[in-house]
Amino acid sequence: MSSAELASRSGCKRTEVMHDDCRTGKGDTMSEAMVKHGALPTAEGGGGSMRHLNALTAVAGGVALAALGWLISHHFMQTDDPETSDQVVLITLGCWAVGFMAGIGAFAGPFRWLLGNDLTHADEMHLAGKDQGVGRYFRFTTDHKVVGVQYLIVTMVLLAVGGTLAMLMRTNLIVPHSNFLGPQTYNSLVGLHGIIMVIATIIMVTGPFGNFILPIMIGARDMAFPRLNALSLWLLVAAVPVLLSAGFMGGIPTGWSAYAPLADQATPGMDGYLMAIVIFAISSAVAGANITTTVLTMRARGMTWTRTPIFVYGVVASVGLALPALPMFMAAQVELAVDRTMEGQFFIASGGGSPWLYQNLFWLFGHPEVYVIVIPAVVALMELTPVFARKPLYNFNAAVLGIVGIVGLSIMVWAHHMYASGWAPDLNGPFMLTTEMISVPTGVLFLVVIGTIWRGRIWTTVAMMSVYAMLWNFIIGGVTGIYLSDVPADYALHGSMFVTAHFHYTLMGAGLTGAIGALYYWFPKMTGRMLSERVGFVSFWLVQIGFNVTFLGMFAVGLAGQPRRVFTYPHMFATGNFISTIGAYFIGIGMLITLYNVISSWRSGLVAPANPWGGKTLEWAVPNPIPLANFEVLPVVISDAYGYGEGDPQPPHWRADPHSPATPELVPAGAGTTISDTEGSPQ
Amino acid sequence: MTAVTTVGDPLPHLEHPDTIGRRWRAGVILIVLADVAFLLSLVFSYFYLRGLNTAGAWLPKGTQGAPIWPAWAIAAVLIASAAVYRSGQVAIHRGNVSRISTATAVALLLVVVGLVAQVVQLATLPFDLDESSYTSAVYVLGGANLFHLLLTLFVGVGMWNRSRLGLYSPTNAWQVRVVGIWWTWIAIAAVISAVPTSFIAAPGG
Amino acid sequence: MRPMTITTSMDHMATRTRGFSRRRDVRQVVALWAVLTVLGVVFGLFVPARLMGPPASPTMRGIEDTMTVFSVAAAPVAAVVWAVALYSLLVWRHKGAGPPETDGPALRTSRPAAVLWILLSSVLCVFLLVWGLAEMGSVATAGSRNNPMVVNVTGNQWVWTFDYPDKGGVQSDQLYLPVDQPVVFHVRSKDVIHSFWVVKMGIKVDANPWEVTQTSVVPNKLGTFDIRCAELCGLLHADMETSAHVVSGAGFTQWLQAHGGHA
Repeated sequence: MSSAELASRSGCKRTEVMHDDCRTGKGDTMSEAMVKHGALPTAEGGGGSMRHLNALTAVAGGVALAALGWLISHHFMQTDDPETSDQVVLITLGCWAVGFMAGIGAFAGPFRWLLGNDLTHADEMHLAGKDQGVGRYFRFTTDHKVVGVQYLIVTMVLLAVGGTLAMLMRTNLIVPHSNFLGPQTYNSLVGLHGIIMVIATIIMVTGPFGNFILPIMIGARDMAFPRLNALSLWLLVAAVPVLLSAGFMGGIPTGWSAYAPLADQATPGMDGYLMAIVIFAISSAVAGANITTTVLTMRARGMTWTRTPIFVYGVVASVGLALPALPMFMAAQVELAVDRTMEGQFFIASGGGSPWLYQNLFWLFGHPEVYVIVIPAVVALMELTPVFARKPLYNFNAAVLGIVGIVGLSIMVWAHHMYASGWAPDLNGPFMLTTEMISVPTGVLFLVVIGTIWRGRIWTTVAMMSVYAMLWNFIIGGVTGIYLSDVPADYALHGSMFVTAHFHYTLMGAGLTGAIGALYYWFPKMTGRMLSERVGFVSFWLVQIGFNVTFLGMFAVGLAGQPRRVFTYPHMFATGNFISTIGAYFIGIGMLITLYNVISSWRSGLVAPANPWGGKTLEWAVPNPIPLANFEVLPVVISDAYGYGEGDPQPPHWRADPHSPATPELVPAGAGTTISDTEGSPQ
Repeated sequence: MTAVTTVGDPLPHLEHPDTIGRRWRAGVILIVLADVAFLLSLVFSYFYLRGLNTAGAWLPKGTQGAPIWPAWAIAAVLIASAAVYRSGQVAIHRGNVSRISTATAVALLLVVVGLVAQVVQLATLPFDLDESSYTSAVYVLGGANLFHLLLTLFVGVGMWNRSRLGLYSPTNAWQVRVVGIWWTWIAIAAVISAVPTSFIAAPGG
Repeated sequence: MRPMTITTSMDHMATRTRGFSRRRDVRQVVALWAVLTVLGVVFGLFVPARLMGPPASPTMRGIEDTMTVFSVAAAPVAAVVWAVALYSLLVWRHKGAGPPETDGPALRTSRPAAVLWILLSSVLCVFLLVWGLAEMGSVATAGSRNNPMVVNVTGNQWVWTFDYPDKGGVQSDQLYLPVDQPVVFHVRSKDVIHSFWVVKMGIKVDANPWEVTQTSVVPNKLGTFDIRCAELCGLLHADMETSAHVVSGAGFTQWLQAHGGHA
């Protein structure tokens, strides 16, 4: 069936629905409903109480409720030492989160729903940030483009903090027995660096680009649930100070994995960690449900699964995997909280608990989490490779199967982190099997990328060079992963710096590199400005060379037997560590230059044309600046977005939807929903 | 520049309620999926610790197991509640608009009964949380159920109020259906969390 | 739809393959691949095992062999990716400012390439698995043969303690082992999780509270070797190390007697 037929057929369906409604005389009720709920355009000035709420009131609310919580719990818990009482700390942090969310206005919508006082069109326009200038970035704004930019900023803040901690740690390790930080500080920074970076890398692609770019890419006017979108972002924002507060309460001296029973011993910094995880897990579940629903139900007409860009698959794979994975982590942290505050026995062996329970729950989340980070980053690079190679994406179907294969296998490999734990030695063989099998679908992704650049017209922008950097780094990360998947080799390497170097090659060498490539690619669309390529290349080479120096040095000391998470080491590892630290400084300088590039280009970079790279996906078809509802008229997709070299001149792969409603024809989206009116239906 | 100003003046986006309903159904099912993962993690914890029985301390001597029936009684109340709600949902699709507010009121009442019963059960358990891994796991499963019920209380009050205000009609009942998914899930969740607590003593211990 | 016998389709493919292999860029990429493969193999043969140092047990020797074999096996695969990447940067790069004026060829799908790629990587994967399982088998039997000596290993923050239940309960914070005598370690912890790691012997197992885990080895080299903790266990995790002294049978008996034990 041709695409035109497809489009007209679904158009017919739509008309039939309408006629059917008209025949049964439901039309009347609908127009009544429209008036009743005030969903038709009204005068300016919607928003109600939400007009007065923003980030400042959120912080005020959070601080006020936290203070109240502290006072009350301090009074009733009868503790001698409130600073170290886990109950007081947890209640205070929980109150902060609730107060913050109330102060930003997250509860206004649900309570108005409860009262039957649904949001009007004017309210929803206010929520979408219409005509609010910069202020809308500091509000509970539902426009997916605002949320995407907010995610970008949160990601950069987290990466900056986590990166600074990494610099401190590497400085401490520049020579043996440096005593720059001391064991206490060093150990707590290890965990803080780890968990900050894990959260930052989980959100770094699906947050900024999954929210800003993805809905436009699939031809939608917003996400499926715009208010849930704002909710997930502001929950994340609420979690950030909770996480950072750990740094002031003794840090996270357990590493990011927070193994019990060490975590049961730890100072109240641990409470900051677990509360942040609980909030982040809720945020991720909400975001995951939202993005997945958007892709399942809101793709443009004609955008069949084979015409859906590969980036969309990658994002859905990532958030879809995070959706069941993070709640398991949350369950582990809830149990840890019970252990710490109420003398629970979940992980205390003498009380019938088991540290292995924690490890299982943690890695049931923890291994999928690796792919939650890596898949969208690599797939973002796969999305931009055809653009800069001027060739179609090679073996699209295989790429999709590769992603599906990785997702499917990733939930069956968790215990390869526990080969040496003694948990179930008999299961090491099966887990070695599943772990090594995952190299097959991963390899397919490599085939897709090298097939796409094969005989292409390679345009070596910073974004495209990130693809090459990924090909180098991810191969090293993958091959070293195969050593670790081998049970006996893992007995030698587990818990050593070799493991640290390995996962930095995947999460940073492939993951962060992919996110930076995606930033250079999509920044013009997100801000209307070009990132400087010249500055970009300086930063690119500093980071990539520094990265390889750092972690190749770390592989060497790991093979020689240096454990990870150590504040000092014997002299035999001195050379490798010195090299690592010098490399790390290069990464640090390179990242600062990237930060400078982002800030200066955002303020005064070259003004970007609507489609600077010649991309064919739908986000390049909307003008700069992007209208609030993205599309004047919704597009109908008639082929995929990779038609490079097919016909001259190439026909566009989409056209305006003749059925895009120009007049109100059905019932209002309002009617007590959280569907935002940003999905407008312009004339 | 996109970052500073908004352009465009969108009219209200008008969509068929079934379109919105399908979207919300997908969204709620996905949220329930996340909740399933959370609840099953707690159930897994229970059975894993019971199976390991580390240090023989799963159920130490002197600690009495909790009575089995209260969890099942609560589950039964919630199943009844979900069934009553369901009857209202069916009625509204048949064109009977008034039935839904009555059904929601009764279902809500049953949720309150379940809530009170859950609090009473937690308050009257014959042990403290800190006695062993068994006692910790029982308290946490009950707590999860309590949390579900509190959420349902909010949703239920909203549904009852809104149906009382006549906001639903046979052609615009997708919210009724979507809340129905959640209501069914919390009944199933009560059953799921009642199952482990019916197996008390560690195998062979 | 298109009737095509298997032979003609294979002829067709053979023709295409011949045409493909005669292309100049294809030959150059293959040459580049060969060079990178050789470099990778040389790296794999000499670097990883050397960095791990001389092994002190058959187990560690097996692990170092694994590292070498896996590196050599990975070399041609990595070389394919890197050869294409490098060649595309050297030869297919668009020179000059601004975007390329023309598009590349519209190569969309190649089922044979995908099938071949998946098949080869699966074969490699099966090889790795079989190698690993065989190696696991030999590790498992390493210490359990020939009436092994039992050593209890206890970790607590932040020291290791060893005791010899069969040897009169000798206790020590240094590990002494007779050379070529199979030994089984029963590992436990008094507080948090530690991980017992004799680096040059290639053995590691977690020390858990209230559980006993096992690992075994046959030390086959005289000397003193590092024992470290491989699981973050609190403040002085980095300092939780001691030594394993592998001595002759007579030397071991002497040591036992000096510490109030018997052989």
